[in-house]
Amino acid sequence: MTRIKEHPILGVYPKGELVEFTFDGQTLRGFAGEPVAMALRSAGVLIHRYTSKLRRPRGIFCAIGRCTDCVMVVDGRPNIRTCVTPLAAGMNVRTQYGVGEEK
Amino acid sequence: MKRYDLIVVGAGPAGLSAAIEAARLGLRVVVYDENARPGGQLFKQIHKFFGSREHKAKIRGIKIGEELLQEATDAGVEIMLNAAVTGLFAEKEITARVNERILHRKADAIILATGASENMVNFPNWTLPGVIGAGAAQTMMNLHGVKPGERILMLGSGNVGLVVSYQLLQAGCAVAAVVDALPRIGGYGVHAAKVARCGVPFYTAHTIVRAEGGDRVTGAVIGELDKDWRIISGTEKHFAVDTICLAVGLSPMSQLCALAGCAMEDDPAKAGYVPVVDKYGETSVAGIFAAGDVSGIEEASSAMIEGRIAGLAAAHRLGFLDKGDLDARIAVQEKALAGLRQGMFAPGSRGKTFTRTDEGYPLSQNLLRKGYLDAAEISAYPGITPDKGLRPVIECAQNIPCNPCQDACPKHCITVGGTDGNITALPVFDAQKGCTGCGLCVASCSGQAIFLVDEDAGEVTLPYEFLPLPQKGDRGRALGRDGQEVCAAEITAVKTAGVFDKTNLLTMRVPPQYAMAARFFQRES
Amino acid sequence: MLERKDLGGYIAAPDDDLIVCRCEEITKGEIRHAIHDGLFTLAEIRRFLRAGMGLCQGQTCGRLVKALLARELGVAPAAVEPATARSPVRPVEMRVLADNQERDDG
Repeated sequence: MTRIKEHPILGVYPKGELVEFTFDGQTLRGFAGEPVAMALRSAGVLIHRYTSKLRRPRGIFCAIGRCTDCVMVVDGRPNIRTCVTPLAAGMNVRTQYGVGEEK
Repeated sequence: MKRYDLIVVGAGPAGLSAAIEAARLGLRVVVYDENARPGGQLFKQIHKFFGSREHKAKIRGIKIGEELLQEATDAGVEIMLNAAVTGLFAEKEITARVNERILHRKADAIILATGASENMVNFPNWTLPGVIGAGAAQTMMNLHGVKPGERILMLGSGNVGLVVSYQLLQAGCAVAAVVDALPRIGGYGVHAAKVARCGVPFYTAHTIVRAEGGDRVTGAVIGELDKDWRIISGTEKHFAVDTICLAVGLSPMSQLCALAGCAMEDDPAKAGYVPVVDKYGETSVAGIFAAGDVSGIEEASSAMIEGRIAGLAAAHRLGFLDKGDLDARIAVQEKALAGLRQGMFAPGSRGKTFTRTDEGYPLSQNLLRKGYLDAAEISAYPGITPDKGLRPVIECAQNIPCNPCQDACPKHCITVGGTDGNITALPVFDAQKGCTGCGLCVASCSGQAIFLVDEDAGEVTLPYEFLPLPQKGDRGRALGRDGQEVCAAEITAVKTAGVFDKTNLLTMRVPPQYAMAARFFQRES
Repeated sequence: MLERKDLGGYIAAPDDDLIVCRCEEITKGEIRHAIHDGLFTLAEIRRFLRAGMGLCQGQTCGRLVKALLARELGVAPAAVEPATARSPVRPVEMRVLADNQERDDG
């Protein structure tokens, strides 16, 4: 289980409503308002994109919006930093290939 | 163009402290921060802070963050979030990206409190998903309640690596090992000891050889380094881990200072490229100040004081505070700062090797290399007395700036630094004062280094910050300082209290001959 | 400013395929090669190879490139000429930069 149910110091985490979104067409669930990357990690998704030159997989690296390794195509827009983008119901999240969607 | 008296860049401990001081003196202050939440790293710092009462010692970072935000609100500070400052110019003008717009703002003074960025280290396969920064791990588990992985290898044994390793354990992850290229552990011994007693091994003078895995991390290989930093062949060790966490230091994030034309220097004692500042934190450009990690990497406690100094100095520069008042207030802050900047971990001690404490006690080499005090070494320290009967055993063996144990004891059995109040001195226990075994010192020690020991009863009381909390009557194993099983143990008391602030006191019964060895409890699975 | 000296030809090293700049996928070998071709500053390497010019703006690799330069040049990292800071220090899309008009703002 990737979600921490209860933390010895922080207790129970305040979370938004449980919502559905899609990852490469597959329906997943996450909490509204949490970063898209956290919902993906909780669902077991680690690969966010494949790089332009070497086509290598990348995922969360800094988790605070600096390194840009976790960018994906969100609702049709590429290069969205999923670690700082809040999840909303019905979001369409896709693996990014190079600088956009898979051709 | 909107104008302010003072623009602060960064809403972390330094920036908020600066804004609070200036706003209280009547300045119109705005703080810009690129993140969605204010507080910088404070809301990820769930451990109790070190220092003295004036430094908010034994209060957890999250609570300090809440207090600072409340003070800022009360003082009338405006905080702009999701506002990344993209430029700073010598005319004290900034540009900031807010939503889909670039804003221009001017002020009569600017305080840069942009903090630090994480250093990274590259090795084969370091770009694989599952290799993350220590900050990422903290963000995931402490802000969002998501475990970064199930089994983690920690690279780096500075305070960040040690604190995050402990937090990973608290979040329910396994930490396979803590690895450091240096021949000694970089952070506080007490931080290392609380990780070691949970059974996490330390590999000093080791480095990562490669991450393993096809499209995500499935393992890591480490190897021992010789004195020329080459891996000794045949020393490679494999760990099956799904996450490799990098905690190899921080660098000041000083680009904005350079951009504004401030004189800069590359100072290893400050951990990187920093603006040259005077005692008020003012850069070479009049009216532009720097405070916190941006002007040299230190703890958040120091950043808050530097912020207050810069805020006061900016107020003086704009005529809101006269020179006499400024100097009087700065003197108080400087004294508080000096208290933190002593001992073997002070910024001025970077790169130096110590063999003895300030008092002349030999430094525990085992603590530096393995993360725990060896049984043969402990009797050397003044917090560990040969008295019998119920008493605290204070396993505090390095000069770190911290004294909550002294304040916690209602009987004044514990003193730190005697009359000169040097808070980096080792705590001294005096049995004559009449210890009642209340356990307040155990709960108040930010380093979780105090235990109540009673050899006659065969009982050990230890600080415990994990879930599930054991119950009276639970049976299990007592672990030693090295995390290895010492003997069987049974829980005889569990104390929780508001004043303990989530540090629970577990009392376990062990055979009396193991009372000075048993330091952690593991329930039978 | 460091004196321009002849470092001798580039000799391949076994770990030359190690990625240094994650954003632009620039390897240690490419950077070493450039240094031996006479690029002695972070600015030159950035212009020529794009190491540090990607989305993160060199925040991740800056220190690694600097260390590599120092090692090849045989100097302390602090002696390497620091990278020039330029606005914007955070990535901003061209459409946002181009629409740089002060309007009703909060």
